[in-house]
Amino acid sequence: MDKIRNFCIIAHIDHGKSTLADRLIQHCGAVDDREFRDQILDSMDIERERGITIKSNTITLPYKAKDGETYELNLIDTPGHVDFSHEVRRSLMSCEGALLIVDASQGVEAQTVANLYLALEYDLEIIPVINKIDLPSADPERVREEIDADLGLDPFEAVECSAKKGIGIEDVLEAVVTKLPPPEGDPEAPTQALIFDAQYDIYRGVVMLCRVKQGVLKPKQQLRLMHTEKEYQIEELGLLRLERVEQKALAAGSVGYVIAGVKSVRDITIGDTVTDAANPAPEPLPGYQEAKPVVFSSVYPMSTDAYQDLTKALDKLAINDAALTYEKDSSAALGFGFRCGFLGLLHLEVVQERLEREYGLALLLSAPSVSYNVFLKSGEKISIDNPAYYPDPTEIEGSEEPYIKASVMIPERYVGPVMELIRDRRGVNTTFNYLAVGRVEVKSEMPLAEVLFDFYDRMKSVTQGYGSFDYELDDYRESRLAKVDILVNGERVDALSQLTHEERARIRAMHYCEKLAETIPRQQFKIAIQGVIGGKVIARTTINAYRKDVTAKCYGGDITRKRKLIEKQKEGKKKMKIVGNVEIPQSAFVAVLKTDAGK
Amino acid sequence: MTAPAGLYVHIPFCSAICPYCDFAVTVGRPEKRRAYVAALRQEMALAQAAMSFSDTFDTVYFGGGTPSILETDELAEILESLRETFSFNDDTRIYLEANPEDVTPASCDAWQRLGINTLSLGVQSFDDDELHFLGRRHSGAEARQAVSVALAGNFDVVSVDLIYALPGRSAADWRSNLETVVELSPQHLSCYTLEIHERTTFGKEHARGTLAPLADDTQGDLLVDTHRFLRDAGLPGYEVSNFARAPEHRSRHNMKYWRHVPYLGLGVGAHSFDGQRRFWNERSLLRYSRALAANELPRAGEEQLTLEDRLLETLMLGLRTYDGLDVEQIQDDYGCDLLKTGGERLEALIRQGVLVLDGGRIKPTIEGLALADGMAAALAP
Repeated sequence: MDKIRNFCIIAHIDHGKSTLADRLIQHCGAVDDREFRDQILDSMDIERERGITIKSNTITLPYKAKDGETYELNLIDTPGHVDFSHEVRRSLMSCEGALLIVDASQGVEAQTVANLYLALEYDLEIIPVINKIDLPSADPERVREEIDADLGLDPFEAVECSAKKGIGIEDVLEAVVTKLPPPEGDPEAPTQALIFDAQYDIYRGVVMLCRVKQGVLKPKQQLRLMHTEKEYQIEELGLLRLERVEQKALAAGSVGYVIAGVKSVRDITIGDTVTDAANPAPEPLPGYQEAKPVVFSSVYPMSTDAYQDLTKALDKLAINDAALTYEKDSSAALGFGFRCGFLGLLHLEVVQERLEREYGLALLLSAPSVSYNVFLKSGEKISIDNPAYYPDPTEIEGSEEPYIKASVMIPERYVGPVMELIRDRRGVNTTFNYLAVGRVEVKSEMPLAEVLFDFYDRMKSVTQGYGSFDYELDDYRESRLAKVDILVNGERVDALSQLTHEERARIRAMHYCEKLAETIPRQQFKIAIQGVIGGKVIARTTINAYRKDVTAKCYGGDITRKRKLIEKQKEGKKKMKIVGNVEIPQSAFVAVLKTDAGK
Repeated sequence: MTAPAGLYVHIPFCSAICPYCDFAVTVGRPEKRRAYVAALRQEMALAQAAMSFSDTFDTVYFGGGTPSILETDELAEILESLRETFSFNDDTRIYLEANPEDVTPASCDAWQRLGINTLSLGVQSFDDDELHFLGRRHSGAEARQAVSVALAGNFDVVSVDLIYALPGRSAADWRSNLETVVELSPQHLSCYTLEIHERTTFGKEHARGTLAPLADDTQGDLLVDTHRFLRDAGLPGYEVSNFARAPEHRSRHNMKYWRHVPYLGLGVGAHSFDGQRRFWNERSLLRYSRALAANELPRAGEEQLTLEDRLLETLMLGLRTYDGLDVEQIQDDYGCDLLKTGGERLEALIRQGVLVLDGGRIKPTIEGLALADGMAAALAP
């Protein structure tokens, strides 16, 4: 067991985590050069395209160290985005140590600090790694100072490298061997293994990724999942070297996979503890924190007959994504769908993109919402994330909305526009620090709901792409909440209702009204589009009626042709959603809702 | 159906082809016309033998093309054959479409003697610029002259055809055309908005981007103004594009199309309807002639109308007319209660002022006529 090291790499997005992982893998010869490709651990198209890691991944690296011994290094790759910190947490629970990457020119970033705190929560040994030392702008000395001042880590422990150029890779591996502790655990004790992730294999069913903490796992063993209290027999287990390598046992300290005839994702919970049914551990492993969704949106298939496909796709997706929540939802305008909970907007986008790309679904998502606390006059407190369940305003005593601590890193010259944008989005207690010459971190407490819409895009735009944005959830604060409904000729379009702060209601409503006016085709009668709060109209647009829709001549030969045209017109209408007396094409919902989902 | 049927005879010949026209037309030499008359006579015989509906007719309509291009003896030959082949009511109306340049006191006299009692003049415009744009071979003055000559003859009805909503022309330009026609005072008037069809010269110019139709809204406004102006001038409308001084001047023949009364079409591209089935002839003169040379009907296609098709046509055609839709009749014929199936949309259209409920009928207002097609689609179950 003392020849095993379990570690992960944590970093601010874009500081070179996947590249360093690639180099470590290559250095240890775990993958043939001809099989190698960049970002090798990121198997999803979307990860490779966006250069981000969404799923945790694991690989066992055989490493012959300078002391002459061969070590089994289990590298657990983790996502870098704040939305996926639950995945990070689970990965951290499987490790004894972590490489904390800091960019040699950009220095310590908000996310670096957040990740460090997470790692410290799990008592991990940390090795700072200063990456990208080959860059002309690299300033390792300054970064060492930041590591000391901002992270409170020993700057002399830091290893310098350039993953891109392959400089210092051996130093990193040596540090893993010498500075990180081997796993502890007693192979003779009752078995405890943590399921930190799961994959779905169409031939084998659920493949659980486990870190064995105590005892041993063997094929044919009857295992029990301690939280769900279900039992399975182990069919196969082994190590992960990009591909599964079957083993005879996984003993305490090991990280590997377990296949046990689990058919459905619904049967296991990521974070659950696996034990031996014949000799169970007295209690499950501690510290598992369930990921709580903070952003909610209703997802509908574009065509109502794809609802079954959406159901299947979500069931499958959820196996690899324990944080995704979904329950049935329905809309008069859009039919059956699901109310989904996400960890953040990136998570929402990733899920949407995977559903569309991997499952070939065309989807429509309602305006994203946060979860509000609503206090009723009866004294009851309820959580509302779906406008459909918003209570009658007369019953409401008050409400609260979630706030975030936002951090925007920008070159100094953009401070003005960024401050203005933050003020516009109800940011409070805004402060700024000069991190280095010309670089400013603007910190602010902002309502999460305000960043759900186009904040990220606007920030990128006012900083000409130079700004970076990060946030962590803070607390709930009092809010003047309003439910905005959109009426088309007096009929409410349920899929377009949204909860928002009173101050923002008019702008939001106007935006919807204008988009609808642009996209709903003119009809034979005038269409009034209104945004209302209760009975009060706060925004309105009108689509004027057609003034001509008739052919001049309709005699013998024209009749058949004309009838066919009208039949076509009728068919077109069937594809539209009818709200009251108005036909709304799908494209109108897309136009309205698309503008919101963007970042 | 007990109502007498209509008979249409298509004469595809023209002295030149107008850039907007998408009818079956050809520039014909005299010997071609002779052959065509012979072919028509043969078609009559075959069609009579194959007829599947009421064999009494009370209208004959010579349309084109330019039927007035036919020599008097050619017309006489056709009419004689028709009378020999089919049976006609005593008060049968015979219509002839004529180009202004063919209208003289002598030709009017000759046509009348053949029994033609309604002359429909393809005037299109009284404005020289517009006539030039439309590729017509007569001037505004000649058009006025032709209408006067026709009215001086003893026809029961003289009808004038005009085209409006021309690109680049104003509402005032159109108004002056209307004022001219009102002053001339024919019994019947047809006013068609310019339609640009794909295969025509205008269609090609439109595709190239050199010709842009007036905006639909503008066309709609012109249509509404036209109906109002002519109503006030004593030529009230009775259909989207048709106006008549008195009910007896309305086109008995055309109303058959709008009321699902059977009609028989003879000649190239002509359509027929027997109450259930619609069938049509070859559009090409060559194919038409070949079929008849082989002693076969020159059918190019046919369709059996389902109840649903007929209901949709009933709505589409009915909403084009001032009389609108007979709610009870439609309930009886199709088992469709429009007041129910129309539902909220019917109410919205009534609120919008484009439909009215009047004596058991759903009638379009003048504004509603301009929306007849869309409303048919909206009200169809």
